[in-house]
Amino acid sequence: MRHEKLAVFSLKKIIKLIFLLVVVSIASFWLVEQAPIDPVKIYIGAMSVTPEQKAILEDYWGVNTPAREKYLNWVGNILKGDLGDSLIYRMPVSDVIKERFTASLVLMASAWLLSGIIGFVLGIVAGMKNGTWVDKAIKTYCYILLATPTFWLALVMLLVFSVYLGWFPIGLGVPIAVAAEDVTLLDRLKHLILPTITLSLLGVAAIAMFTREKLIEVMSSDYVLFAKARGEKGFGLVLRHGVRNVALPAITLQFLGFSELFGGAVLVEQVFSYPGLGQAAVEAGIRSDVPLLLGIVLISTVFVFIGNLIADIIYRFVDPRIKQQEMRT
Amino acid sequence: MKKPLNFLLLIILILGLVSVSGCADKTEKTGVYMASDELVIAMGTHGGEPESGFDPITGWGYNHEPLVQSTLFKRGSNAVVINDLATDHTISEDGMIWTVTIRDDAKFHDGMPLKAGDVAFTFNKAAASAGRVDLTMLEKATAIGDNTVEFTLRNPQSTFINKLIGVGIVPEYAYTGSYGQNPMGSGPYIFKQWNKGQQVIFEANPDYYGQEPYFKKLTIVFMEEDTAFAAAKAGRVNIAEIPHTYANQVVNGKRIVSLETIEACGITLPTGPNTGEKTEDGYPVGNNVTSDIAIRKALNIGIDRLSLVNGPLNGHGAVEFTGVDKLPWGNKEAIFEDGNITEAKRILRDAGWIDTDGDGIVERNGVKAEFTLLYASSAQDRQVLAVAVSEQARELGIKIKVEGASWDKIQNMAISTPVVFKYGDIDPTDVYLRYHSESYDPSNWNNMIRYNNPVVDAYLQNAMTSPDEETAVEYWQLAAWDGETGYSEKGDAPWLWMASINYLYIVDENLDIGTPVIQPHGGNIFGNILEWKRTEN
Repeated sequence: MRHEKLAVFSLKKIIKLIFLLVVVSIASFWLVEQAPIDPVKIYIGAMSVTPEQKAILEDYWGVNTPAREKYLNWVGNILKGDLGDSLIYRMPVSDVIKERFTASLVLMASAWLLSGIIGFVLGIVAGMKNGTWVDKAIKTYCYILLATPTFWLALVMLLVFSVYLGWFPIGLGVPIAVAAEDVTLLDRLKHLILPTITLSLLGVAAIAMFTREKLIEVMSSDYVLFAKARGEKGFGLVLRHGVRNVALPAITLQFLGFSELFGGAVLVEQVFSYPGLGQAAVEAGIRSDVPLLLGIVLISTVFVFIGNLIADIIYRFVDPRIKQQEMRT
Repeated sequence: MKKPLNFLLLIILILGLVSVSGCADKTEKTGVYMASDELVIAMGTHGGEPESGFDPITGWGYNHEPLVQSTLFKRGSNAVVINDLATDHTISEDGMIWTVTIRDDAKFHDGMPLKAGDVAFTFNKAAASAGRVDLTMLEKATAIGDNTVEFTLRNPQSTFINKLIGVGIVPEYAYTGSYGQNPMGSGPYIFKQWNKGQQVIFEANPDYYGQEPYFKKLTIVFMEEDTAFAAAKAGRVNIAEIPHTYANQVVNGKRIVSLETIEACGITLPTGPNTGEKTEDGYPVGNNVTSDIAIRKALNIGIDRLSLVNGPLNGHGAVEFTGVDKLPWGNKEAIFEDGNITEAKRILRDAGWIDTDGDGIVERNGVKAEFTLLYASSAQDRQVLAVAVSEQARELGIKIKVEGASWDKIQNMAISTPVVFKYGDIDPTDVYLRYHSESYDPSNWNNMIRYNNPVVDAYLQNAMTSPDEETAVEYWQLAAWDGETGYSEKGDAPWLWMASINYLYIVDENLDIGTPVIQPHGGNIFGNILEWKRTEN
């Protein structure tokens, strides 16, 4: 029975993913085509160019190829497992993505973990101390975070910790002027800390507020009342009955936050000149590098989808109660 | 029973502090900042990272020193052409065949000799790939023996010399699709490492045929301009390109260097009237105010360029009259006396532009002398110049409404509306595309003002098709002003050139950067890298 359920569930998900990829790729492609961007013009910049050279460039950037043909060509290649060549970087899209995605992944994974842990702890504390100054302080902090633009926070962090205090390197992912073989893990970590903290600070707010809300709800439930009647109290009570019940929904929410993580990463990477997928995505979008942009869109779609999928699995298989609760409300 | 919780909070606080202070190690483990023969340069504003790699065939090093590769020729500080790989060149009588002989002591970084075949390969390959290098005039390059290359052109073209200056030579036997990721050439520096989006590291080439560079290691860090300034302030880089906003900053152990460029900033003044004609996309063509030569001349003569340089640009620039003042093909005769308000007003009055309703703006036949001036809203230097010009124009009775716009909008409006542009090309083809009547193309930046003067056309055509640059220079100059007509203010005044804008660098106190070569659009800071050294202070 369980297996059957799982099979149906996976099949549904796979069909959904394929459908999603098709829709997303068509939508992004259409947007790029609609954009009043002339990639040749951007490539040329302010350079003067002779009509003959312009024709050559238009050919290269596929300006005069009908949109439908371009898209079908691209899809045809995808089905052969070829993402095509990036027009900007003049190398295979898969290579560009490989290079960049690894860097981004490290950044996003560490930020994701950090924000989950800090957010959860803050939420628990705020929920326990509901209504006290601690709670108010945490709430205020979260509201401020929610209202803070990522890039601005990144700039402030850079100014304070790198420029004035000199604790951290200024941007980049590796130390300046050091040969690759001499770069230690510590060096890499040092370059990762500031972008990670910046990125995780922003993820903290949502998870903290959610956890707080949930905990307050749990703490006013019958079974907690019963536990209290049995003489349990304070921290032990929260740990045994509160945290346990709040953890799962919080984790679920954290998985759903993949998309925001992605968006935040793009901005943070720009400020810290951290060479991730974000930078490449911005370039590809602005300059109509269709193969690269679509490649990145596909990868990020899969990425966010996986996040949601994990949340879904937790939802359905790990804790069916969540589903029941949903049904009741 | 609040204790455990407070304890928990305390733990979090301590953990936070520890995690941050644990890395409070003040020096990055590079040790390069003090090494005297190593340099770290932050670039990004201009000539940042070449996204398709360090491959001359797709445009790396076109207009600036390629470092890894060498070129056949170079331009010195006064734009004079000098031999590099080339030892000599001859051009056939009809200008169709260029024969270049190359030195026999140039070696690629792997020790293999650089031969004529590599040169021919480079040019044929570059012509076939849609990069930044326009080689549409080249029919083919052929190697004759090991030291002679013959370039066959489709038509005579004096400006072909610029292609020979711009394209670094790659080894034919080692050129693959991923050459740009791991380049090899015969230049003064050997490519070591490229961290994409971050930095590239070069090391001096001990077997270089030219003067051995003083700096044994160059690291170019790619950063946004504000980050670059912060990095310079923190002592992480030895030299950084910075925006004008930091011109007056004082940084310990560093100085600000303001490099003159040929990046000329000017305003287009559409020369044709607006007859209701529309472009293909439905945008107006021509302008009923700027189409009158009196308006164009009055602006050119009435505006005081020196005050533009000293005011809005804080002295980081130079006056500019023809757009190519500093170049060999600029015409000194075309330079004129400016800032003469009386004369400008006289020109307007004689042409019938008179202020009859007392609002301070002159008019003629019910048309007021007013127009909109567009600038790219992201460019602060263009904005300050535009505003200053509009203030000065008011005194002449001409009203200019200054408006920031996106490039997309500018592209559509440029055919009918004056725009602030910057041009700094070291190739005079630029002049041809700017003023030749047949260059006009609404989908392009070429000749947006729709300038059409048959005499100038003929000069430009002659200049382009001259067999060599020396002969061409004369025609280029005549196109600006031949005593009767021309594209400069003395002739038809289709542009209002204002100033050339300096590039600013923040540099180590003890770094001597010699005499920089001519700085085109995008800069060429490494153009004289072999002269750079540290001075004892």
